[in-house]
Amino acid sequence: MTNSPVHRRTVLGGAAAVAAGWALAGCGDSGDGDGDAPRERAKGQRIQLTFWSWVPGIDKPVDLWNRRHPEVQVKVEKVSAVNGAQYAKMHAAVKAGNPPDLGQIEFPVLPGFLLDDGLLDLAPLGVARHKDKFTGWQWQQAVFGRGVYAVPQASGPMGLFVRQDLFDAWEVATPRTWDEYEDAAKAVRRKGAWIETFAPTNGNRLAGLAWQAGARWYATHGDTWIVHIDDEPTRKVADYWESLVRRKLVKTIPDRQNAWYKDVQTGAIPAWLGASWGDALLAGNAPGTKGKWRAAPLPQWKAGAQDFANWGGSTTAVFAKARYPRDALDFAVWLNTAPESIALLIDGGYGFPSAKKGWDTTDLDVDKDFFGGQAYSRVFADAGAHVDTSWRWGPGVDTLYQRLGDAFTDALADGSSFRSVLATVQRQTLDDLRGKGLKAESGG
Amino acid sequence: MPSGPEQAGRKRARGAGGSRPRRARRTRTRDARAAAGFVLPFLALFCLCFLAPLGYALHQSLHRTERTGPLGLGREHETFAGLANYAHALADDRFLAGFGRVLLFGAVQIPLMIVLATALALLLESASARGVAFFRTAFFLPYGVPGVIASILWGFLYVPGISPLVKIADSLGWHLDFLSRGTVLWSLANIVTWQFTGYNMLVLIAQLKSVPGELYEAARIDGASAWQVARHIKIPLIRPALQLTGVFSIIGTLQLFAEPMVLRPLASSVDSGYTPNLHAYSEAFVGNNPQVAAAEAVLLALVACALSFGFLRLAGGHAGERR
Repeated sequence: MTNSPVHRRTVLGGAAAVAAGWALAGCGDSGDGDGDAPRERAKGQRIQLTFWSWVPGIDKPVDLWNRRHPEVQVKVEKVSAVNGAQYAKMHAAVKAGNPPDLGQIEFPVLPGFLLDDGLLDLAPLGVARHKDKFTGWQWQQAVFGRGVYAVPQASGPMGLFVRQDLFDAWEVATPRTWDEYEDAAKAVRRKGAWIETFAPTNGNRLAGLAWQAGARWYATHGDTWIVHIDDEPTRKVADYWESLVRRKLVKTIPDRQNAWYKDVQTGAIPAWLGASWGDALLAGNAPGTKGKWRAAPLPQWKAGAQDFANWGGSTTAVFAKARYPRDALDFAVWLNTAPESIALLIDGGYGFPSAKKGWDTTDLDVDKDFFGGQAYSRVFADAGAHVDTSWRWGPGVDTLYQRLGDAFTDALADGSSFRSVLATVQRQTLDDLRGKGLKAESGG
Repeated sequence: MPSGPEQAGRKRARGAGGSRPRRARRTRTRDARAAAGFVLPFLALFCLCFLAPLGYALHQSLHRTERTGPLGLGREHETFAGLANYAHALADDRFLAGFGRVLLFGAVQIPLMIVLATALALLLESASARGVAFFRTAFFLPYGVPGVIASILWGFLYVPGISPLVKIADSLGWHLDFLSRGTVLWSLANIVTWQFTGYNMLVLIAQLKSVPGELYEAARIDGASAWQVARHIKIPLIRPALQLTGVFSIIGTLQLFAEPMVLRPLASSVDSGYTPNLHAYSEAFVGNNPQVAAAEAVLLALVACALSFGFLRLAGGHAGERR
């Protein structure tokens, strides 16, 4: 161990580790042996499926399944969700030929796994008969061509969380439009606080806000991907935030990090444009502010409009190499539709159920006390019902977020415009897709 | 391995035809077998953990994935790409900027750290030093803290709103920002220096210990001051250790990864390609472009190689002149 810092750092060093990992992985990748071929479970045969997930409290519904299905035991392996580590691990496992049977995969990331041939098309297994159990637009997010590649689990309709006590004390009304939001930002700033942060590296939220404004970043035409990040709606969103940033009406620190949590705890940041799953996040990280928060609908571009957006949400996908695909699918459907499973998932704080029934059979107001008794989930249920359904994700969304983050950071530092960020990222995304051997064109 | 002397021995054995050389030959084969027994495990590990990944990385870097079918949802297959991945990597401004950053980092941090380590080593090894064992351990301790943990630890001291340092400075009317574009590189340098100064100090102390005491006595009899002993005897004699720590530090600097990786979520000033290693990681695991990542890794290895040997040649050349 005292031998050298070189060695230890080599192990930590990404590139070297990457090379080594794949080299070893190469050994296991020698052809599709019989061991990997999908099998039908014989009657009475006991099998075990592995499931990689990071959702808090996922073990509880899985335990319930295991008690009820002694023949199909599911083993949860928790994976880290920090900085997309879970997907790095899954991609590497797919490449190495030893992925788990099931995995927790967010909607935006699904296309990336399709490029790897990583996911099993569930359509031949008859997944279509479950279609009506799920919210339409979420089901659609897992449909590519004729295939269905995942079972939807949860979504994240967006809304605005505010510290009602502070807003009341400062006589700031909860903003209903983006114009009002700007006024609120000014009013809050006069009180010495900052209404929010524009986190330059949070591509997820920006996508949600662009989605609300009417942007459609990805589309397909024949076998070509159409990329349209630098479009009018997204420019409108970019201009809006640039103006807030340049006038110093919002902070630019990263969100959901220590400094941000601290600001949220102390009231230095009294609002958050978040998503439905943000209830657990706020309640867990700012317990001292219990009872003082309220949820409100996302501000609108036009007063009285009903345009909403989504941030997050994930699926239970079956990997292409799953040995017992039928059982894996049965489990995935049960996990996300059985009322008792949904109840346990909601307790764990996993988001907003994709199953239609989940919205009324279960009490979604888990952290009611934190929101002063408000039936806050109705705000999100309403938003979820109005999310524009034509939004599609394309391959390489993680890279897109990273590129947006890098370019916004550059823009904040050197003062170039947010519009130029969009133009840059549009160009880079086309290059990225073409670099992956795909056909891609700019939207007109 | 059949070498010259063994062949000669064989010839002699044939010529004499006696039993003594034959026994000698048997002994020799036994020796060779024993040697092989010792060498093989090393060779096997060397091949498995060093040559194989290297070869695989090279192979990867020369290939690309092609996708067929509508929207790329059909099968994918690998084709030879020549140097396209290298060209792609070298055309990436962010990747090159990462190299520039790391070189700047190294040019400042390495000399600083080695001077500090040398000073500490000399102080602890001076005749009048007290509590040597305690201080040696104390200075070495940070090396025992894994880089990731060290970065998290320092991260808490850097982040405004949490950091006591920032708070104290603030109350003095001094606005510190450890994570801004201009400062974050030096905040990283601080973490690395904190971690590795003690380690380098220990290497230098080990070499100092091997300097015969008579040299110091002779110098003292000649009337040399402590400073002169350090300057003219100790430092020249620990030159090999200084070279070693220098090479380690150069390689370590080029491989800078854990520290920026951990600080990245805290500071948006650390972008996805902040260091070449981080860039390769992002290509591999975020962009899922293993071949480009492999090309970047190979380029990184080449630069590390060139710089290390360049440094050794430079440092070694000086030593030769002096002699």
